[in-house]
Amino acid sequence: MRIGVYVCHCGLNIAGVLEPDSLTEFAKTLPGVEVARDLQFTCSDTGQETIKEDIKEHKLESIVVAACSPRLHEPTFRRVVSEAGMNPFMLEMANIREQCSWVHMDEPPQAQEKAKDLIRMAVAKATLLSPLTGETMPVSREVLVIGGGVAGVQASLDLADCGLHVYLVERRPTIGGYMALLTDVFPTNDCSICVLAPKMTDVYNHPLITLVTYAEILNIEGSVGRFTVSGVKKARFVDEKLCKGCLNECAGVCPMEVPDDYEFGLGKRKAIFMPIPQAVPLVACIDPESCIGCGLCAEACPVDAVKYDQRQEDFRFDVGAIIVATGWQSFDPARKEEYGYGRYRDVISALQVERLLNAAGPTGGEVVRPSTGQVAKSVAFLQCVGSRDESVGNPYCSRVCCMYALKNAQLIKEKYPETEVSIHYIDLRAGGEGYEEFYIRAQRLGINFIRGRVSEVEEVDGTLKVNYEDTLLGDFRSRPYDLVVLSAGLEANRDADVVGNLLGLSKRPDGFFEIAHPKMRPVEAHIDGVFIAGCASGPKEIQVSIAQGEAAASKAMGLLVRGELALDPVVAVVDAEKCIGCRLCVDTCPGKAISVNGIALVDEAACKGCGTCAAACPVDAIDMTLFSDEQILSQIRAATAVKGQYPFIVGFLCNWCSYAGADLAGTSRIQYPTNMRAIRVMCAGRVDPAFVLEALKGGADGVLISGCRLGECHYNKGNYQAYQRVQVLKGVLEKVGINPGRVKIIWCAASEGEILAKEVRKFAGELKEMGPVGTELAPPGSPEPSGVGY
Amino acid sequence: MKLAYYPGCVARSTGREYEISTRAVSRALGIELEEIDDWNCCGATHVSNELVSTALAARNLVRTDLPVMASCSICYSRLRAAMIHLKDRKVRKKVNEALERKYEGEKEVLHVIEPIGRALRKADEMDQDLKKNKKKNGRKEKDLIVRPLAGLKAAPYYGCLLTRPGGGIDSPENPKVLEDLIRTLGAEPTDFRLKMKCCCGPIFMPEEEAAAETLIRILRNARASGADFVVALCPLCHLMLDANQPLLEKKFGEEINLPILYVTQMAGLALGLGPEELGMEMNSVSTRQVLEKLEKIEGKKAEEEGAKVC
Repeated sequence: MRIGVYVCHCGLNIAGVLEPDSLTEFAKTLPGVEVARDLQFTCSDTGQETIKEDIKEHKLESIVVAACSPRLHEPTFRRVVSEAGMNPFMLEMANIREQCSWVHMDEPPQAQEKAKDLIRMAVAKATLLSPLTGETMPVSREVLVIGGGVAGVQASLDLADCGLHVYLVERRPTIGGYMALLTDVFPTNDCSICVLAPKMTDVYNHPLITLVTYAEILNIEGSVGRFTVSGVKKARFVDEKLCKGCLNECAGVCPMEVPDDYEFGLGKRKAIFMPIPQAVPLVACIDPESCIGCGLCAEACPVDAVKYDQRQEDFRFDVGAIIVATGWQSFDPARKEEYGYGRYRDVISALQVERLLNAAGPTGGEVVRPSTGQVAKSVAFLQCVGSRDESVGNPYCSRVCCMYALKNAQLIKEKYPETEVSIHYIDLRAGGEGYEEFYIRAQRLGINFIRGRVSEVEEVDGTLKVNYEDTLLGDFRSRPYDLVVLSAGLEANRDADVVGNLLGLSKRPDGFFEIAHPKMRPVEAHIDGVFIAGCASGPKEIQVSIAQGEAAASKAMGLLVRGELALDPVVAVVDAEKCIGCRLCVDTCPGKAISVNGIALVDEAACKGCGTCAAACPVDAIDMTLFSDEQILSQIRAATAVKGQYPFIVGFLCNWCSYAGADLAGTSRIQYPTNMRAIRVMCAGRVDPAFVLEALKGGADGVLISGCRLGECHYNKGNYQAYQRVQVLKGVLEKVGINPGRVKIIWCAASEGEILAKEVRKFAGELKEMGPVGTELAPPGSPEPSGVGY
Repeated sequence: MKLAYYPGCVARSTGREYEISTRAVSRALGIELEEIDDWNCCGATHVSNELVSTALAARNLVRTDLPVMASCSICYSRLRAAMIHLKDRKVRKKVNEALERKYEGEKEVLHVIEPIGRALRKADEMDQDLKKNKKKNGRKEKDLIVRPLAGLKAAPYYGCLLTRPGGGIDSPENPKVLEDLIRTLGAEPTDFRLKMKCCCGPIFMPEEEAAAETLIRILRNARASGADFVVALCPLCHLMLDANQPLLEKKFGEEINLPILYVTQMAGLALGLGPEELGMEMNSVSTRQVLEKLEKIEGKKAEEEGAKVC
């Protein structure tokens, strides 16, 4: 391998502490180095030109740039080498600025030694680089949207408007979700179905949307760009093409009445029914559970649309991306037994009061006591039922209950000014545009606000009594009401578990689907090509759900609009000879990119290159293209070749957090000891125990592994896997008599340069206490091993 | 069925009729009781010091290898709560330092309502079995309820500690286990809304006024539910509802006169035991009206049947 090494002065940023010319001379002594130069500013045009000329003139095969952090200029130099006709991946950088000259300003001689090591390590890796090509893959430009609530509806419309074909799959007979059942919605108090119905109709009429209702997804295979989805469309026993949606004819004659789940048990429907008057598609549906097969509806139908012999149909399609908009389910208020839901008829849920307030609801919009049918003269809203409540396992805030209770309280107060309306709350959360104003409006309307969680609702002699502690008055109180409305929280939709399992989505402790980053990637799943919108990833109000539907659509569009996908060449590769098909990699892979059919197979489109599978493989059958075992081992050997310092630490820093944190220590000029030689890996999960052993064998006194903070891993769980491996390794070390304290794993975010510096300082101190590696193996009384070079 | 019996202090004082009826009912159901040797306080008197309270309960638990049965809800709750505390290794270590016999692991702790229910269910299953197999004579050998309480209405009163700590025999907010037993015995449970209300035993001394207000509410509600008597599961509840009635009658100027039966007294009647075997003369409010009503109903039934025969 003919290597060119370029040592940057970076003005005085590097040259002020280190001696670039002697580093250059040092580089020339390294095997394979054909050319070594020091340059004032390597990233400048002159610097770039020099590299290009050298590549041509000296027929260089790989390049080492010893300068700033690769996180800053790796893309620049990759471009430079490729402009000179070289493969862009034939470049390695030695970070002698952020992780050397800027953090060791007071110790130039030691910093110089460290810089030499860093260059030796970079050259060692450069010797083993091989050209990589980022391939492209044709992708399907069709998208599956799961769930026809408002988020799914919005995503479908946006995608279809941009020319992508959409399959919208809904498990119920109509789209519209919960929003279609609500009365007026906050903060504008406009009619929910009036603003939603046009969108539902648009979905139905859009030429690029294939709507599949009353359907279940049974299988999803493949990965980004080429998912295959299959499932069944259940029989509704009514021909969708023939039914005119008149309903009166068939339902009018049906003798069977059952509780209507679209009215949350308050009203009744027939065995042949239309879920809601605005149903899309506007097609009746027969519920086989309650139908007695009398045949009256078939007789009554003017177009002979009733088909008792209808069967469920299978469907199957290929899509490039999937949007999961599976929504939520209500907390079952009966679980809070002290509130008597299900025991006292006049204790109802928030969704039930939505239906009572709805002009199309079971009472035509009258808010009545279910026990008497009389209009309620006093109404209490009990907040946080099943939210912010550890006793039912839901510590989270459901986010919408304050606002919908304010809204329903206003609607009741406006309709019945004489009715006394109270809201029992613990905190009122009205954060959002126009929300606080909405709250003030409720106060002005004369709604009572009582702070304190209600302890119980009791019904004695036909009156509901709400017992509570008024935490503003500091007093225990009891108040009678005609109607008590429980503001039940939002829970993860259990019906979505099947889809979640098929896709391999991870769940947060609260049960909702986890997004790729809790802040920065709000609609992306951990799985490439899968997006999550709306309440599937946590409670949200309608406007946010719509925004998420739009965001997910735009993400899916960005992915598929070109019709092809550029693949990152940093991927895992399996050695078919060595693989024993043990499936350990399948379980470790955060991207579900590996499948086993006799031997492991990596889906390069889905692989994100973290390398935790390579570390997990018990027979070393998996390796990475750019962070290969051999490359990393060569870096370790190069680092420990001289061992010019005591204690000597080999560090492994994950690219996303810890390496960035170390760079930040540099840009913040946080000084720390020079004892560590850091190796960049994509994830702490990449660190194979063999690396640690190699470092210790080579004479390193300690090994420091640093990953993202727990719960913040770029690859979801890589740091946990790293932690687990380190714990096992510590046990092994202890058994062979090596102090397990020589291996340390820490968590450091990209913003925590100070923590990285502190940990290096601390670890160096601890290792000093332990003595040089191997001290613990020497028999008592024998002279201390004299490490090489100190 | 053989159980270790933990009587608790009240069994030897204000709740003697509970112990008498517990023993009588157990005998009738074939449940052998072995009183825990040298038992001590369940820990209720030391709840302000969790460690002492736990250790006291643990000392009782380690004195037997059998499942432990208590009839007092307070004792029952303390024994269960102690086992929860003893899951903590540190607590267990500390407690064991003080114990001669060490606490090794959890025990089955039962409230008297559980073995009664179990024995009756088992008998019922055997009956069903007999019926199914249509054995000769088809005699219901295992029928234990020789005097069903049909026609009587019972208000099920739970008090606070039978179902707490949660995760025990039934829901802490809306349990059903007593209603089920009442039905099994042939009586009808009334819709008694204040069945979970505090009996005010713990606050009676410092807050007599508040306690009286609550007690009268509970008793009025029980009466209004149509009950002939209230069933109590705990001697403190029983004491509060039963012995306080004269005081409440005077204070509120109304007649109450509502008998409060222990669950074991009610069960004993259905099992055909005599009132004297169940200590029923020891209740403060006379239980005679319950017996009289039962006899009257039975008399009427006999008359009707007699009429049919004629």
